[in-house]
Amino acid sequence: MARIRFENVEKKYANGFHAVKDLNLEIRDKEFLVLLGPSGCGKSTTLNMIAGLEEVSDGSLLFDDELVNYMPPHKRDVAMVFQSYALYPHKSVYDNIAFGLQMRRAPREETDRRVRDAARKLEIEHLLDRRPSQLSGGQRQRVALGRAMVREPAVFLMDEPLSNLDAALRISMRAEIKELHQEMQTTFVYVTHDQAEALTLADRIVVMRDGVVQQIGSPGDIYERPRNTFVASFLGNPPINYIEGQIKVTDDQMVRFVQGELELNFPAETAAKLADCDGLTVLLGIRAEDVEEGSHGGAGAVLTGKVNSVLPVGSDLFLGFELFGNELFFRVGKDIGHASGDEVSLTVDLNRLHVFDKDSGASLIW
Amino acid sequence: MRHLFGYEERSAALFLAPVMLVLMGVAVFPIFYSLYISFFRIKLTRPNRTPFVGLDNYTDLFTNELFWVSVVRTVTFSVVSVTAIAVIALLISLLLNQNFRGRRVLSTILLVPWAIPYVANALMWKWIYDSGYGALNGVLYQLDFIDKYMIWLGDQDKTIFLIANAFVWKEVPLAAILLLVSLKSIPSDLYQAARVDGAGVWQRFIHVTLPAMKPGFMLVMIYETMMAIRHFDLFFILTEGGPGDASHVLSWHIYVETFRNLSFGSGAAMSYVLALVTFALSYVFIRTLGRRI
Amino acid sequence: MSQFSQTNSGGIDYRRRQKVARLLQHLVILLGAAVLTIYALAPVTWLVSSSFQTEAEIVSVPPHWIPEEPTLQNFEAIFSATEEEEITYETRSGQDPASGGYIPSTAKNLIPSMWNSLIVASLVVVLNLLVGVPAAYALAKIRFWGRDASVYFILITRVIPDIALVVPFFLVIRKLGMLDSLGSLVLTYLAVTVPFSVFILVQYFEGLPDELDKAARVDGCSRFQALLRVFLPLSLPSLVAVVLFTFLTSWNEFLLALMFTQTEASQTLPIVLAAFTSDFTISFSFINAAGVLAIVPPVIVAVVFERYIVSGLTAGAVKG
Repeated sequence: MARIRFENVEKKYANGFHAVKDLNLEIRDKEFLVLLGPSGCGKSTTLNMIAGLEEVSDGSLLFDDELVNYMPPHKRDVAMVFQSYALYPHKSVYDNIAFGLQMRRAPREETDRRVRDAARKLEIEHLLDRRPSQLSGGQRQRVALGRAMVREPAVFLMDEPLSNLDAALRISMRAEIKELHQEMQTTFVYVTHDQAEALTLADRIVVMRDGVVQQIGSPGDIYERPRNTFVASFLGNPPINYIEGQIKVTDDQMVRFVQGELELNFPAETAAKLADCDGLTVLLGIRAEDVEEGSHGGAGAVLTGKVNSVLPVGSDLFLGFELFGNELFFRVGKDIGHASGDEVSLTVDLNRLHVFDKDSGASLIW
Repeated sequence: MRHLFGYEERSAALFLAPVMLVLMGVAVFPIFYSLYISFFRIKLTRPNRTPFVGLDNYTDLFTNELFWVSVVRTVTFSVVSVTAIAVIALLISLLLNQNFRGRRVLSTILLVPWAIPYVANALMWKWIYDSGYGALNGVLYQLDFIDKYMIWLGDQDKTIFLIANAFVWKEVPLAAILLLVSLKSIPSDLYQAARVDGAGVWQRFIHVTLPAMKPGFMLVMIYETMMAIRHFDLFFILTEGGPGDASHVLSWHIYVETFRNLSFGSGAAMSYVLALVTFALSYVFIRTLGRRI
Repeated sequence: MSQFSQTNSGGIDYRRRQKVARLLQHLVILLGAAVLTIYALAPVTWLVSSSFQTEAEIVSVPPHWIPEEPTLQNFEAIFSATEEEEITYETRSGQDPASGGYIPSTAKNLIPSMWNSLIVASLVVVLNLLVGVPAAYALAKIRFWGRDASVYFILITRVIPDIALVVPFFLVIRKLGMLDSLGSLVLTYLAVTVPFSVFILVQYFEGLPDELDKAARVDGCSRFQALLRVFLPLSLPSLVAVVLFTFLTSWNEFLLALMFTQTEASQTLPIVLAAFTSDFTISFSFINAAGVLAIVPPVIVAVVFERYIVSGLTAGAVKG
């Protein structure tokens, strides 16, 4: 049982680095919350503050309404899994897993039962007598999970736990972590820079940049309705495409995006939100997958351009376009044969367009 | 509500308290006490009169001819020793950086001079330089370099160099190990890149090895200079500052002033000058090491 | 490498040149190794050789490089010189220094002085560990306000020359009535050993991952428990290095011991040894035997623990 609340939390280091700025966040009980952002955005610092490994410089951090700003980590009921696993090299796997319980003076039989239980769940029973140095990366990862699991903590913290695994293992561990969360029924806070991990695992995602929260929301929210260009660009592969242009509100209440020859008509719902933006310079965002081959969309919904590059990625085909001086990438079916230099028309899904203010980068429609 | 110092500061303070207490007691307090003493005329021969004399001990020092002699001797000894140490240690480190069988044995052998006590080192060289039966005379005589035994340490022109030789012999291993570390830290792709660019062995040494060793070299030079200007043991046992004032270095001068003339005030003043010189020298040293932790 | 030069044009020529170069390299290495071995060992060998010579043999001109009649009498003299024997001017001049091998009255101090050295060195080692380990952990793993200042403070104390401490130490120790006691040596040796010990340990702790510290603390360790249960078991190599350096420094220290010791109650080995060298009546063979005794323990330590010493020197960068 644990709710965690950040109220106007600041973190400044002695060297003047301002790692987290005015953080307000409520983590709900039993939620799977993912902190997502590039390195240096303050997500690990935030996690460390929950653990008590970093002190809050200003503001309040509350666990279930209790102020814990100055509570050292060993007094908090949290468990943590690290990127490097941080297993104790001088202890056996068994002792690594049992250590947290021993430090909390759990009865010996209880400790033993829990360690074996966790080992069975993680399928590492046969490794209990080994030393960490004798394990593979994936096995170490499991031991690290086991060490956190046996504690049955109120909050389960994970700092990029999958980054050191190879790609295939990473996907299967993702599934296991998700199962673990369902089984343990505790609050999970998970730090990653990997958008795919965040989208698969999270109940809610917090996107951070330079110590500032950019957006908090469900994976669907974050992906479909990014609140600014940073969030829009950070998620999606290949990244979202931007075209700079003007908003034009016509006399008949139609709203268009205009850039030279190109004119795109916004659907009514979007248009309503942009009614006041006549003449504003904006960035139009089109996700790579929100186009279809062909010009069946008709006027006001079609992009035409010259193919610059063709990048097959196995399941799909990325087409690179040169358009108004920008290189744009779109994802099209792999059956379509195109070569560089071909003139291609794409129909844009107008309901999925994103419009950002050019100067501030803030979304004008979400 | 706000704590000025959090859990981290409190535990760090607790962990550092013993070391700070010890260093305050045995290093910081004495060095300031020394400054205080240096403003008084303290002679143990008349313990009840210790007048305050201000900077007199310092001004006396700079008008004392023997002090300036000792400065010259110290500088000569240090320059000769440190140069020799740097050159020999460089050669040794280059040798030990090669891969060959017996390299481990050789680096163990190198530790022998490092490990033996300075007093034993002094005693050993005193015996080697001995005018009647020493090995130096023996070797040179058998090789026909000299036709009669020489009084080596009694020769004013040679003493300081002979003592420097004994000093160098003991200090070289440490310097070589440190230089070897900076050699080993040069990434091998740097050499490969230089090779691809067509650099020969000599050019690789000049353009890759030497520049990369510069910080290590600085560290060794400064450290060995600090060791040389304060060195005492060899002078005490080999020559006691003689013959005449040929090996009358600063540390010996301080010793004589303090413990033979029993003038603690001026002894303190002199050692303070030496300490200040060391501090000035070690500025780079401290900056380099400080940045590493 | 070699395949490449073979497939290149003019392969044979290159192969030959490479062979010559490699041969030359081997030759240089061999020569260098020989010179280095002689340079490092010849003086010590000569000292050892002459410690096994009789007084008559040691004064031969030119010297005997290898003893013709090796003898243990010099060492026997040291180990048997323990009983109190009044040495007067008469007994001294009764022995001919040139042939009989005069054994000084201070010879009986040699073995007790080794004990003194051992006691002092051991105490200094223990104290170094006690104050050094927690300090190093704090400096390496705790990010606290004032950390950098503390690091610089310790580094500065490391470059204070020992000779600058002699005068104030002497006056304070005299005032405390601690002159001529082992305690005064232990205290003052802390000044020349602690900064270096802390330095070695900090470097080692820094090398251990921060996440290990975090894991321990999330697992329920206080700072002190994290040090005790996680870092201490992992830091054995650096602890060994600290023990070795501190021990050797104390065992070999001369200047401070010269100032603060007066009688056999506190005289350490270097002091007794130095006293021999200033007495012209003592035979060289005896002095040399004493010198060999002083050299043997530290050299054995250095050779046995070579790996730890080199890594410690590397970590600490420079012995203080």
